[in-house]
Amino acid sequence: MNNLAIQWIVLAVCALGAIVRLPGVLHGRGKVVFTALVLLTIAVALSLDAIYLAVDALMGGVNLANLLIRFFLYAVFLLIGVRMAAAFDSAGARRMIVGPFGIAVLIITISATVYFFLASELQGSSTGLRDFGSQDTVLQYAAVGRLYPAYVAACLVVPGFRAAFDRGSRPLHRVASGLLACGFAIVVAYVVLRLMPIELQQWDIILPFLAILLTVLGLCLIWLSHIVSRRSHRQANKLA
Amino acid sequence: MAVTAKAFQLWRSRIAPQDTVSDVCRVAGIKRSTLAQQLVRGKVSVSTIVSIARGYSLPPVEALAVFEGFGDVPAGVRPPTDDELVSQVSHVDILRLLVARSEDKEYAGSDLQLNLAPFPHRNSVRAWIEAIDPGDLRQQLAESTGVARQNLSAQLTAGRLAPEIAVQAARIAGVSLTSGLVVTGLLTPEEGGWPQDGRARALCALPDLDLVLLARDRLDVLGKQIRRAELEDGKDRAMWENLG
Repeated sequence: MNNLAIQWIVLAVCALGAIVRLPGVLHGRGKVVFTALVLLTIAVALSLDAIYLAVDALMGGVNLANLLIRFFLYAVFLLIGVRMAAAFDSAGARRMIVGPFGIAVLIITISATVYFFLASELQGSSTGLRDFGSQDTVLQYAAVGRLYPAYVAACLVVPGFRAAFDRGSRPLHRVASGLLACGFAIVVAYVVLRLMPIELQQWDIILPFLAILLTVLGLCLIWLSHIVSRRSHRQANKLA
Repeated sequence: MAVTAKAFQLWRSRIAPQDTVSDVCRVAGIKRSTLAQQLVRGKVSVSTIVSIARGYSLPPVEALAVFEGFGDVPAGVRPPTDDELVSQVSHVDILRLLVARSEDKEYAGSDLQLNLAPFPHRNSVRAWIEAIDPGDLRQQLAESTGVARQNLSAQLTAGRLAPEIAVQAARIAGVSLTSGLVVTGLLTPEEGGWPQDGRARALCALPDLDLVLLARDRLDVLGKQIRRAELEDGKDRAMWENLG
């Protein structure tokens, strides 16, 4: 399977994951995760040549769309990170993400992202800024862009796996927690690998998109279990 | 958990020499695919044996005795002890008797007034183990069956106990060898030699103090179960509300 196919499949899965939540959102449920999934879908879509070039042309052809991807991804990690910390009942992860330190990391990342973006010469749309790989500031821009996602992911790997190995939880939730934890572990692994002087070749696409796929599948499982529990209307009487 | 497929086939050819596997399943009222699967795995479950024995009007206890590990069961059938009988009364029935006595409405001697709920009840297996425990039953059980204590606890929490382990527990505790098969629901009380009104008689024979302490212990167990269930509910809700 080539990279392009992987990207399109992941885009379809993200979009589906968002669409199935739409009825619930119209009833006021799960708005935050839905927003995150929509932003994630747009970010994935903009990683595809066909969509990126069209969208960026509308925005002036100076690669503002790439900046948009960065901001959307930061938002996705912030939203899902806070919700996952709450779902896994991990006060520590929550503090790390929305506590003073986490917010500081976010602000520094955003500032650095904007600074390196402005400091680069980016005339002419180029998906993933591949045409500008020779510029130092573009490399810095890309590296900074991976910092915040990796930070949030690192905060959630341990709580995620702990939930996956919790024998007192529902099997479906353990599987979902495991998928989310694996997705976030892959994000961390990918960022670490990028810091090393290794040629990732195809893995440069496979790892991040696999992480997205696992995360969205995990969220879909939890959504499914929520739907099933609502359908069954089991007002649990623990004494009967 | 099971007997070998070889021993099962031998037994089957003895009790129903003319019948095919399909016939046996039809007579026993079990699914053909279930038995086929068990035969493929080489392990036939004890409940299958019991169903087939019932289908052919054989006493299940005698049928089981043919198989390894259950040979001494028929000779080890005794009336259940009062503790065992009381352990199979549900907490609701215990509380009903407690209320009846508190309101001075117990009809002495007329056991049938109680209309005890059929057993096994939801905590039958654990209550039985606790009723027969001479002090270190779980330890001895783990040692003699080779099943880890953690695994034993998991079975008890889930309200299950493998037939061999149930029989072994009875051997260790020196009670009727069918008791464990009755409280796990594998045998009916009649098949296991439990007298029909035994539970009501044993319950009514409890002095007030014992009845109150019994009710307290049962409520204690129930409270722990509900606390655990609510903890799990809380986890589920946290998942659904945040990510669902």
